[in-house]
Amino acid sequence: MSLLKDRARGCLLGLAAGDALGAPAENMEPAQIREKWGRLTEIEGGGTDDTEYAIFAASLLVRHGHDLTSDDVADAYRREIIPAVLGPMKGAGFSELGTVSALRRGLEPPMTGMIHAHGWSDGLAMRAAPYGIFCPGDPAEAARLIEQDGLVSGEGEGINGGRAVAAAVAVAMSGAAPGEVVRAGLSAIPQDSWTARTISRALPLKDSPEGLHEAVVIRHYPWTDLAPEAVALAFAAYLHGDGEVEESVTYAVSLGRDADTIGAIAGAMAGAGRGEAGVPGRWAERIGPATGKCLPVVAGKHVLDVADELARRL
Amino acid sequence: MSGDRITGAFVGLAVGDAAGWPAARHRAALHAPWSRRLHRELDAFAEEHRVTTLPVPFALNQPTAPLAVGPSDDAEWLAWTALTLSQDRVRAFVDLSGRDDLRARISVTTALGNLRGGLEPPASGHDNPHFFDDAAAVRAVAFGAVGQDPTRDAQITNAGDGVLGARAMAAAVAEAVSGGSAALAVEAALAQLPEDSAIGVNARAALRVTRKAGGAFAAVPALDAELIDHVYSYAVSAAVTVPVALALAEVSGGSLVEAVPAAACLAAVADSAPALTGALTGACGGYRVIPEGWAASARRLAGCCLPELAGRDLLDISEGIA
Repeated sequence: MSLLKDRARGCLLGLAAGDALGAPAENMEPAQIREKWGRLTEIEGGGTDDTEYAIFAASLLVRHGHDLTSDDVADAYRREIIPAVLGPMKGAGFSELGTVSALRRGLEPPMTGMIHAHGWSDGLAMRAAPYGIFCPGDPAEAARLIEQDGLVSGEGEGINGGRAVAAAVAVAMSGAAPGEVVRAGLSAIPQDSWTARTISRALPLKDSPEGLHEAVVIRHYPWTDLAPEAVALAFAAYLHGDGEVEESVTYAVSLGRDADTIGAIAGAMAGAGRGEAGVPGRWAERIGPATGKCLPVVAGKHVLDVADELARRL
Repeated sequence: MSGDRITGAFVGLAVGDAAGWPAARHRAALHAPWSRRLHRELDAFAEEHRVTTLPVPFALNQPTAPLAVGPSDDAEWLAWTALTLSQDRVRAFVDLSGRDDLRARISVTTALGNLRGGLEPPASGHDNPHFFDDAAAVRAVAFGAVGQDPTRDAQITNAGDGVLGARAMAAAVAEAVSGGSAALAVEAALAQLPEDSAIGVNARAALRVTRKAGGAFAAVPALDAELIDHVYSYAVSAAVTVPVALALAEVSGGSLVEAVPAAACLAAVADSAPALTGALTGACGGYRVIPEGWAASARRLAGCCLPELAGRDLLDISEGIA
């Protein structure tokens, strides 16, 4: 197997594992997680929107490659997502729901990502890995490409979060050390941004869950899906685990908040660096084809097949 | 600049604030905490038993004043702004940041936390999940009344559409208190709202559907369909509430008694859209066109967000800056 194909498989398997492992810990405090599981190390159920949207993003890259534009992404929403949304759109984040409303209203990108109030969502960061896989060793291109996706459903810090993760995964795909991977993520976004500030505050506190919360969590906001927070926590977890998949991902989900997304991002970066064998076998066994519970269009697709498809185009 | 129109803007905002249903929720903060706990429990009871009449503020043996029609959060934050207008804006907010007896929008509460943590404006308003809300747009009524730029104040708690909304409100109020018509006030606001911003798109859409409907009350369903986020009901998004206020002010020709009740009918934005609408139309018509009963009920602040303002008369405060 080629090195890049192995890293692509490790990346998406790590993402799916982090998503599934973190799902039951979402919105919990670190202390509650410790009380319930000690350390949460075993996958209990299936993955969520993180895995399904990553599969969807990969399908856009397979179809359009480096020519992908926001209009292509908006067309895919109109053809593949919206027709399947008959009642409530289950398991989707606010930003994707807001985008579906905006498209139904007849708006075009970038207004589809600006008109709703969820521009800072971590919905782009959670599905950033395929863009990094697609641009190994080229973080600037990974960031440019994911922005095309981001302009459809996000704005500002949500796009920054996606750019940071895509760039980091692109560099992890080249086998770089974790410190270099994180620096690449930070370099892909403006230093004068909320996301850059939270990452910079988080990294020195990477070994303290409570310290991390103190540094980046907005205390008086009821939701946890803020990209500046989730990306900073994921980067910290990845560095805490020194890029090793199990340590990075179990620590990531121990942080609670948007635990499935934090786990998925940390898992994608670590998996890209360590390859398929870096993902614990007992986790890989639990990852089946996507059920399509969030995005019916991806039902039946397995992340490993998706990784192979992306790798064939490198 | 007309003192009557400045007072109209202030008391008009308070009338709109009082007319929206969320005022009762804010004012319930003046009751004992157990009454709000019981309210939550009775809500759960109503849900479980499928009965429809329980969810009202539960107030056994509590002071009755908060249960009367009256102003709440927006009137108080406007009053605070007017009272601190001569201070450096960052200093004014830093003075609040150590307090634990305030109630404020998420943008403001987050900004106070950011200031406490050493983050300065504009980052304090930018690194903020509700940077887009209309807290600064409410405060901007005071800046507009005295013809000042609200940007520096707005950036402490908001960014993006939140700051644009403040600029638009200040521009519209400034135009109106100088004697301008509602149409001119709306024109002045639109000049602050770029066409490629969400608030700019929504403002123009709101004006279009409201003109087509031909009247304030007639436009309620069209505004609901065109602007309201039915995914997640952000009650106080400036990109929605400011456009609603502009459109209703324009179509009513600046008539508070037509525009404010229409804004109050938009349940999802009834926390602040009626207040902003009241400020604009109050500025257009002046204090003397506000129905006496409404002015009397809305002038006296409750202290439900800034306790030191309990009992203060907004009329006096507005005359202080006029």
